[in-house]
Amino acid sequence: MERRDFLKLSAVSGATAALEGCGNPDHHLIRFIPEEDLIPGIATWKPSICTLCPAGCGTLVRVMQGEAEVVRKGQFGILKMGLAKKIEGNPAHPINQGKLCPRGQATLQVTYHPDRIKTPLKRTGARGAGQFHEISWDEAIKELVSKLSELTGEKASGFAFLTSPLRGQRANIVSNFTLGMHATRWTQFALFDDQISRFANFESFGHLAPMTADLGQTNYIISFGADFLGTWNSPVAQAIGYGHMRNGRPGQRGKLVQFESRVSQTGANADELISCPPGMEGTVALAIAHAILAEKLRPANAPNAAAAHIDGWAAGLPNYAPEKVAAQSGMSAATITRIAREAATNQPAVALIGDAPTSHTNGYFNALAVNALNSLLGSVGKPGGVLFTPPPPSAKNMPTGSLAAMIRQIQTIPDAVTVLLLYNANPIFAMPASSGVKEALERIPFIASFGSFIDETSVLADLILPDHSPLESWLDDLPPSGSKELVTSVAPPAMKPLHDTRSMPDVVLDIAQQLGGDVAKALPWKTYDEAIQASFTQLYKDKAAKNAKDADEFWKKAQDQGGWWAAEESNSASPTPTKSAPVKNVAPQFDGDPKQFPFHFLPFPSQLFYDGSLAHLPWMQEMPDPLSTVMWGTWVEMNPQTAKDLGIEQADLVEIASQHGKLQAPALVTPTIAPDCVAMPVGQGHENYTRYATNRGANPVSILAPLTIEETGTLAWAATRVKLTAVGRGKLVMFGASLEEASPELKHR
Amino acid sequence: MFRPVLRVNRYFRAVIGICLILVTAIILDRALSAQSSETSSQASVGSGIFTTAHTSVYAAVREFFGIRSTPVQPIAYTHKVHLANGMQCTDCHVGVDQGPDARIPSVNFCMTCHQVIAKDKPEIKKLAAYRDRGEDIPWQRVYGFEPSAHVKFNHAPHIRAGVDCKVCHGDMTTQTVAERKVDHTMGFCINCHKQKAASIDCVTCHY
Repeated sequence: MERRDFLKLSAVSGATAALEGCGNPDHHLIRFIPEEDLIPGIATWKPSICTLCPAGCGTLVRVMQGEAEVVRKGQFGILKMGLAKKIEGNPAHPINQGKLCPRGQATLQVTYHPDRIKTPLKRTGARGAGQFHEISWDEAIKELVSKLSELTGEKASGFAFLTSPLRGQRANIVSNFTLGMHATRWTQFALFDDQISRFANFESFGHLAPMTADLGQTNYIISFGADFLGTWNSPVAQAIGYGHMRNGRPGQRGKLVQFESRVSQTGANADELISCPPGMEGTVALAIAHAILAEKLRPANAPNAAAAHIDGWAAGLPNYAPEKVAAQSGMSAATITRIAREAATNQPAVALIGDAPTSHTNGYFNALAVNALNSLLGSVGKPGGVLFTPPPPSAKNMPTGSLAAMIRQIQTIPDAVTVLLLYNANPIFAMPASSGVKEALERIPFIASFGSFIDETSVLADLILPDHSPLESWLDDLPPSGSKELVTSVAPPAMKPLHDTRSMPDVVLDIAQQLGGDVAKALPWKTYDEAIQASFTQLYKDKAAKNAKDADEFWKKAQDQGGWWAAEESNSASPTPTKSAPVKNVAPQFDGDPKQFPFHFLPFPSQLFYDGSLAHLPWMQEMPDPLSTVMWGTWVEMNPQTAKDLGIEQADLVEIASQHGKLQAPALVTPTIAPDCVAMPVGQGHENYTRYATNRGANPVSILAPLTIEETGTLAWAATRVKLTAVGRGKLVMFGASLEEASPELKHR
Repeated sequence: MFRPVLRVNRYFRAVIGICLILVTAIILDRALSAQSSETSSQASVGSGIFTTAHTSVYAAVREFFGIRSTPVQPIAYTHKVHLANGMQCTDCHVGVDQGPDARIPSVNFCMTCHQVIAKDKPEIKKLAAYRDRGEDIPWQRVYGFEPSAHVKFNHAPHIRAGVDCKVCHGDMTTQTVAERKVDHTMGFCINCHKQKAASIDCVTCHY
C-alpha cells in the first residue's frame, strides 16, 4: 500500500463511520410521471411572441428537458419536463429580424418567478389586505359564473372588463364577451399608450395606427422627444433601421436631430441635440415648416392633406416665423432655419414625435403639427419616410372607453360597475393618486383578476384566476407598427404550464359556454387556439391563398414559422383623411403655479421596467440603466445649475412635491436636462408587487396632476410642475461605483 | 533498521492528525447546518454551501477520496432478463445516439409491456403501484462525474464512433440492476482516446 492510499483509507474510514446514513435528501422528493417524452440534453427552438411591451417582436425559445419543482395534486415534487432556457429574436420575424431587447429576454423570469400565483385564489381578509386562500378551478369558475349570471336585464350595464391594450383574437374574445354580456365597457389601459399618435394619424393620414418610420432608408431624422431607440413605439425595429441608416450605406451616414428637454437614450445618440421647452414641440415643428414654405424649399403645390388640420397653414403659418418661435422658446432662429434647409434638401427626411411631447395637454396638436411637417417634407408613404403597417383584413373597431370616464361613472352613479374583470392592467400604480382610481375601484362590489402576480390593483380582487405565463400559453398578435408588411404572429405554447394556471382567453370562453345565451353565441370557439386557427383560416381565404395548398397547411406553416407575413405586399393605398376644422394651437396647461412650483416634472418610460410592469423581474432590477447606470433603485435627474442653486449634491435625497403629493428620491446631477426641468424614470415605487419590487424606490406617477388630454381622455403625464427640497444624504447605486461612491454614508467608517 | 519505524510513526501521526481535523470539521459543519435549519424555516433540502462545488465538508471529503455510495435502486430491475428476451439497449435508452444523455424511460414506458407481461411478480407490482400513485420511479444515478471535474460527456459521438455500450458500462447481459463495473477515471478515457486516435486535448472533455 502506498502512502497516499493509506492516508486516504484511514481518513475516510474515520469520517464515513461517523456519518453513516447521511444521504442526499433530494432523493426523498417525489418524482411525478413525465407528461412528455423528451431526449435529455437536446435543445429545440420554438417560436413565440414577446408580450412584455406593445411592439410585438417575434422570439425563439430554447426548450430542453429539465427538472422542475412543482406541485401536483397538492403534493410537492420533481417533474421532468421541457423547460424554456433562453429567449432570442426570431430571425424570420419582420419586426425584430432576430434581435431582441433585454426586456424580452427576461420573459423567462416571468415564467419562473417565485411569487407567481400558482393556483386560483379567493379573498379571505379585508379587501386589499392580500389575504387569500387557495381554491380549485371548478370552485373559482362556479363563483364567477354565478356572479355574472346575476347581471341580467338592467343590471347588465354593471359589467366591465379592464385590460391592458390587447390585439388579435385575445382582443376579439374580450370584446365579444363584453358585447355578449350586453355591456359596453371594455377599457384598455396603459400609462404609455399610443392613443394620441393613433388619433392624430387618423386625422392627418386616415390611418388609425401608430406610424412605422422607415429609418433604414432615411437621410435626416427630426425627432421631437421620441425615444425610438429606447422604449417608444417599436424600439427593436427602429434600432435596426437606425443602425442601417448610420452604417448600412457606405458613404452616407444620415443625421439625427433631437428636440427634447431631458436627454433620452436616443437624444444621447443624436448628432444635434436641441433643448426644447416642454409643450413647445408642435410650435417648433411649425417654425421649421414656416422656414421651408418661406424659402420655397418644397414645391408649394405638393399635396398636403395633413396641413389642413393646422390653423393658419394656408396663410403660410404667419404665427410661426422662426424669429417669433425663437423668442418664445429660447432657441436660435438661425438653428431652426438651418434645420429646415437641411431637412428639405436631404431627402428622404422624416419627423417623429412621441413620449413627453405627446403627453402635454396640447399633445394632440403637437402630433398633428409633426404630421403636417412630414407631409410637407414629402415623406408620407415614401421609402425613408412615414409608413403604415397594413391593417389585417378582418380588423374591426371594438367598444372601448377611457379609464378616466369609468372612474367618473363609478364616482357619480351608484352601482355603475358591479362586476369588474381585470387583466394585466395596474391603474392604481400607473395612475396618479389624485385621479381617484383606487377609491373608485374599491367601490366595485366584485372584482376578479386574471393576472399572474399580486400587484397594487389585483390585490383588491375577490377572486384570482391566474393566467399562464406567455411561454406556457397560446399567443397571437397583430403588431400595428414596426414593419412595412402585414404581420400576423402566432405561437403555440413553448412549454407546458408549471403551475395550476389557465390561459385567460380559455377561461373566458369556458365561462361564456357556461353562461349560455348571447355570450355563448358571441363566442363560437371552444378554446383560444381554435379561435386563433379560425382567424388564420380567414386570413388564408382573404390574403394568403397562394401561400399554401389549403388552410390547414397554412395554419401549420404559420405555427412553425411564428406567424405569417406578406413579404411582397407593399404599403397599402393611402386612405382619405377626414376633413375637419383646423385645430388651434392652445398653450399647454401645466398644473401648479410656476412661482411656487418652479420645475417641469417629466416622468419617462424606464429602459428596464417600461411602465413599471416589469419591476418584478430581478434581471431588470440589477441591469444598470443605459444612461445613468443606476441599478436597483430610482433617481431624480436635475441640471448642475439647479442643484447648485438648491445646494444639492450628487446622491443627496431630494423631496419632490407637486400640488398633489410628494416623494423622495436621490439626486442624479447631470447636464443632460434643462435647468427648469426635473425627470424621473417610471417603474419603481411599487407598494405591492412581488419581493423584488415592493417598497423599492419611488413612483413619479403617484404625484402627477389628474390633467387629461382633451381629445383622447388619456393622462397628460408630462403636465405637472414640482418644487424641490434637499432632505439629506441619499444613496445611488451605480454600475462600476466604488462602495464609497455608492454608499456615501459608509465613507467615514 | 531505525528509519522505517520512525517513518511509520510519522505517517501514523499524520493520519491521526488529519482524521482529527476532518472529524472536527465535519462535526462543526453538521452542527452549523443543523443550527441554520433551526433558525430558518425556509431552509430547503440541500441548500447548504461549503464551497461553490460542494454542499458540505462531508461532500468535499468524499469527492476528494473518490468515494461514491453504491446506489440502491427502488426496484430490482434486471437488465439480464430484458436483454436475454431480445431487447436492445436503445429500445429503452432512446436518444443515446442523438445527444449527450440517453433517456431513462418513465414508469409509463415500462407499463406499456408490463400491463400484461409478468404482472404478478412482486417487483412488477411495485412498478404498477408507482404508476397508480402518479409517481415516476426514483432511479438512482450509477455513473456520472463530480461537478467539480467539469467533465462534459456526450454519448452521441461515442456511439457514432462504434464504441460498444459494454466498453464503458460492462456486460449488461450479466447484470441485474446497473452496477459501476467500469471505473470512469481519466486514465480510462485517455487510453481509449489514444487507441482510437481521438483528441486528448483537455478542452475536448473539460470545459
